[in-house]
Amino acid sequence: MSNQPTGAQLVISTLKALGVETLFGYPGGAIMPIYDALAGSGLQHILVRHEQGAAFAADAYARATGRVGVCMATSGPGATNLITGIANAYMDSIPLVCITGQVGTHLMGTDGFQEVDILGITLPIVKHSWLVRDPAEIPSILAEAFAIAKEGRAGPVLVDIPKDVASTRVATSHAATFPQWTPPAPDIAAIRAAEKLIEQAKKPLFYIGGGVEMADASQELRDLVARTGIPLVSTLKGLGTLPTTHELALGMLGMHGTRAANIAVQDSDLLIAIGARFDDRATGKLNAFAPNARIIHFDIDPAEINKLRRADVAVLGDFKIALSALNPKVGPIQKWVEKCKADKWEHRFRYNAPGKGIYAPGLLKTLSEKAGDKFMVACDVGQHQMWVAQHCEFPNNRAHLTSGGSGAMGYGLPAGLGAKLGCPDKHVVTVSGDGSFMMNIQEMATLNRYRIPLKIVLLDNSSLGLVRQWQQLFYEENYSEIDLSDNPDFVVVAKAFNLDAFRITHRHEVDAALDRLLAAEGPTLLHVVIDPRENVWPLVPPGASNADMMEERWDEPLDSY
Amino acid sequence: MNHLIHIELDRLEGSLMRVLGLVERRGFHIDAAELYDLGEKRGLSLTVRPRDPSRNTDTLGLQIDRLYGITRLDADPRAGGKAAAPKAKSKHEIGA
Repeated sequence: MSNQPTGAQLVISTLKALGVETLFGYPGGAIMPIYDALAGSGLQHILVRHEQGAAFAADAYARATGRVGVCMATSGPGATNLITGIANAYMDSIPLVCITGQVGTHLMGTDGFQEVDILGITLPIVKHSWLVRDPAEIPSILAEAFAIAKEGRAGPVLVDIPKDVASTRVATSHAATFPQWTPPAPDIAAIRAAEKLIEQAKKPLFYIGGGVEMADASQELRDLVARTGIPLVSTLKGLGTLPTTHELALGMLGMHGTRAANIAVQDSDLLIAIGARFDDRATGKLNAFAPNARIIHFDIDPAEINKLRRADVAVLGDFKIALSALNPKVGPIQKWVEKCKADKWEHRFRYNAPGKGIYAPGLLKTLSEKAGDKFMVACDVGQHQMWVAQHCEFPNNRAHLTSGGSGAMGYGLPAGLGAKLGCPDKHVVTVSGDGSFMMNIQEMATLNRYRIPLKIVLLDNSSLGLVRQWQQLFYEENYSEIDLSDNPDFVVVAKAFNLDAFRITHRHEVDAALDRLLAAEGPTLLHVVIDPRENVWPLVPPGASNADMMEERWDEPLDSY
Repeated sequence: MNHLIHIELDRLEGSLMRVLGLVERRGFHIDAAELYDLGEKRGLSLTVRPRDPSRNTDTLGLQIDRLYGITRLDADPRAGGKAAAPKAKSKHEIGA
């Protein structure tokens, strides 16, 4: 009898059998049987200090490594604390398996202590979910959960396990297998139709989303760009799919995109969307988006086709096959390409900001240059997030980890630690703001506990900068609840968590500070004091067309930073 | 304009909430719903109406197709409706 495994032991053995090495979580009452089985299992469990941190860390681990992220929490508040992280993974199509403890089955539905219907609560933000009632099914359910999380358009799944199910011994259990999913091969006729449109186009343009990276098809895309010579714009999540320094990479499109990218989209006569979903932050006013363009839409998810913009040709299925097979005889587009390049040069970012204060865009550009090929950034949400997207160089994919669809403040610090654990050889840097950083500041304790050598650049403008910017521009300078000037001393706080920490306030300190940060051996925080009046430019006002960008004007001539 | 959608549900935890919630969240009124027994599975016929003209029932159908253990049919299953699109099946049914 005692040789028979419990449901909890099946959870742990199945996770190991499925190849899990690292998971993130926080124990509590209903999940205690699973934590009991975890001890001594050989799995690397990272004890975070808030369940939201576990979900974000697992999400970033998945983004950085291409594997499935795993997080665990107990019932009730433990499970509900995962929710923002689950929603984040859902919005950005990140494969995540979330395991929650649940109260015993006899207590379910009785408003038991720490009981919450986490399966019901998370229905809108998971690909699928299970409430396990038979412990014998645990191996097969977990195998199915991993398969569903990763297959097709990836996303989070949830497995809720009542305490008595986890504690029950099992004589025989179902096998931990589930059929491997193979992406459907694209329809060759659709690829030929796409080639025909490309051959007819005079102003073709690639519009690249995060789906290319998710499909591990970045090399195929790079080859396609090399074959065709067609310029490219990228969504926030698509940055790095093609090196951002590539001559045909026009930058990010949309609300805080580059002028060159938005001009190209508006002028193009053929937009080739690959793994992008016509998100409102990318398109601006939808019916004014790419008004002269026909659309080719490559996607793995049929539900994205024609959802927001009708596709003239849709190519569904495996990007690796589709992009390799696409080989159009591109027409005479040299004038168009030259115009795109000229626009890129003319509207390049400038870094000669007036004054002696630290200019955050310049600092971030320098940071990515110094970190080089191994640079990986985990961003928080706000002005700094947009500055990272605009000014950092990303030579590789899976290097720009950012909360895109969800825009979840608090992502950066736990995401950074998850990414660094997944990719210890990378220069992983969390770029955060003072608002975002406070939302998961407790995870500095996790950095210290495991001595994870994450580097943190904290851009501090003592305010909620992006909200302040919108209030300035669109709410007649009625500044409402954006002042954070009573922030704690972040250097003191970081040191209290046993991190190395230092502060800079002047532009001339930037170079040495970044060198010190990148050379540091342990977890280190660089506190950067910036001007609270600084804004993110350019900006497409909400509800406007991407053709109507607001831009910063300086009197000084263009110069290098 | 009303649209009639026929669905076959595996007997999975939360499947009815899953599909009804999706229809409402994606911008449709549910004007009528009929749930019926199909033996190992359950049938569901929904009369839905878009909340605004931008809501597309074709897209809604594809979003329903993404759900696991839920199969959209081309006609009433009691009259022989078949799956509207090929899709993955969930293995873990909870019994009739």
